[in-house]
Amino acid sequence: MRAILIVLRKELVDALRDRRTLMTVLLSSVLLGPLVLVAVSSLVASLEVTAERREVYLSQPADAPTLVNYFERQTYSVKTPPSDYEAQLRSARFGDPVVVVPKDFEAALVRGDGPVVEVVSDSANQRSQSSARRIERLLEGFSRERYTISLALRGVSLELLQPIELESRDLANAQSRATQFTGMLPFFVMMAVLYGALNAALDTTAGERERGSLEPLLMNPAERWHLVVGKWAAVSGISMLIAVLSSLSFMPAQWLLRSDTLAALFRYGPLEALFFVVVLAPFAAALSALLMAVAIRCRTFKEAQASAAVVVLVVSLLPLVTLLNPGAEAPWQLWVPALAQNALMTRVLKGEAFGWSAVLIPLVVSTVIAFLSVWYVSRTLRSAALK
Amino acid sequence: MIEVVGLAKSFPATGGRDSTSTGAKARKARVQAVADIGFTAPNGTITGLLGPNGAGKTTTLRMLAALIEPDAGRLVVDGLDVRRTPRAALARMGMLSDARGLYPRLTARENIAYYGALQGMRRDAADARAEALADMLEMRPLLERRTEGFSQGERMKTALARALVHDPANIVLDEPTNGLDVLATRALRDSLRWLRTPEGGSKCILFSTHIMQEVERLCDSVVVVARGRTVASGTIHELLAQTGQIDFEEAFVRLAFGPADGLPAPRDGRGATPTSPARALPQR
Repeated sequence: MRAILIVLRKELVDALRDRRTLMTVLLSSVLLGPLVLVAVSSLVASLEVTAERREVYLSQPADAPTLVNYFERQTYSVKTPPSDYEAQLRSARFGDPVVVVPKDFEAALVRGDGPVVEVVSDSANQRSQSSARRIERLLEGFSRERYTISLALRGVSLELLQPIELESRDLANAQSRATQFTGMLPFFVMMAVLYGALNAALDTTAGERERGSLEPLLMNPAERWHLVVGKWAAVSGISMLIAVLSSLSFMPAQWLLRSDTLAALFRYGPLEALFFVVVLAPFAAALSALLMAVAIRCRTFKEAQASAAVVVLVVSLLPLVTLLNPGAEAPWQLWVPALAQNALMTRVLKGEAFGWSAVLIPLVVSTVIAFLSVWYVSRTLRSAALK
Repeated sequence: MIEVVGLAKSFPATGGRDSTSTGAKARKARVQAVADIGFTAPNGTITGLLGPNGAGKTTTLRMLAALIEPDAGRLVVDGLDVRRTPRAALARMGMLSDARGLYPRLTARENIAYYGALQGMRRDAADARAEALADMLEMRPLLERRTEGFSQGERMKTALARALVHDPANIVLDEPTNGLDVLATRALRDSLRWLRTPEGGSKCILFSTHIMQEVERLCDSVVVVARGRTVASGTIHELLAQTGQIDFEEAFVRLAFGPADGLPAPRDGRGATPTSPARALPQR
């Protein structure tokens, strides 16, 4: 048992002295999530600003005084778009849809010919697309006003025009609405954990072999599995440290949220952070052991990186399953590492409750992976020291 | 004291198709790295394991370090069987293998103390021992430096100190002068000579080499190995007398590669047939 602690201590000192790698991991992984959160919030904020601006772009205001009058009564200010607005919309330099009316709009309106009014936007231009719907609703209001007046003048009851009353009821609570925007956060946290473990895991296995320090190490009268468990504990420790840091990093990140709506929706307090850590810790331990098992047979760090790329790829692709299969999460997902953690963290963000089995199943799976990997590394070291 | 009796080890031939194999048969060929090696290295003596490249020296020492399991034979260190009680045997030995990598982000002292701790020493004891060894190997100024950027000689000294940290009764060195300059080699020789004396602890020192001069200058006893077998052993004088030569190099060539009639009969009498030609052995 003493050997385990000795190896653990040495590997931790060794890894923490690797300042450059550590800083890179910290900066890229721990800061990435909060940065994305802030970026998303400023996108949401800019959409909100557009919605609040109450502006409408009309190509020829002089041709449609009735429409201008209506817009102004709805407290919209009417603006003239730039002359090359189509090109600007396409290249996303201009972000508002443009209302285009025909030359004889007023005359056609009076005659009841139904003049064609176009709302020009570019569906590849996200900003114009989001406000197009708003402008269309505004124009629908204009039509409604026109026909209501005409019918009322002819003595038709207004209730006949509305045989049903439409009311929508949204079941999502504030937190689950926010996961539309914050759904990628679990992914970033998992990547942080992965990259936190990666370097240390490869350095203590393939790196040790490449330096030629593995063979002398095995000539010490310490049990092989003591050495392996010590190394694994060190790698897991570093990975868990990154997990804790990145889970906590979202708490200060909230203060930077620029959208008030999102800030109100995104509830991430100490309890959520604690849940994240509880979900991530076994995952970090399993991942560390798995990466060591992948790297132990490799002769060089580079070779090990190539093999570890497979693990990285799988871990980063698995959460995509939920993106490609929107809908309820299936029970089997809890049995798949990475996917299970992603699902659990999403539930935490949504503010959903989950039972013990949801925590226990991934814990058991992680334990099995860690145990098998550590066993495999120990077994390999018994014979492969010289190869 | 180290005793090796009737040691044998073969490896599956690796490396895909052999360019020399002409037959269509792709049989599972095995390379006999060690066929029959035996010797005794007593305490207070420097014993040289001398042999050409690929003679089986490194494989023998790896089996002694319990890194690989021998196919046959016995390895005994101070009465402890390496195969049965590898941990206890390892605790009695200080091994400097041909892989002597250090941890570049740790200081020389930390590198040495790490092995001390793994050998079961207490922290302060390991520290004190690191300082004593640093004095012996003249590497005091290196002690607090990280080993990143050490020269070959500095690395070698650190690795040697690391191997000797637990003051082992038996010291095993695999081609220790590889890559060392004249001064470093001399310093190493002086250290080994001192370790052999009663003041130095009357250590049993076993080292492998393929360099004649080293053996001539240092060894009390020589074990000549070739093609995986012990072909002769004794003092330099005895080996010269046995071959009727004046020059030790000539004597060695006779013993290792010489005409069949010059070869002494193997001791157990079963290896009268010529062994397979020495192939390139898997060295790492």
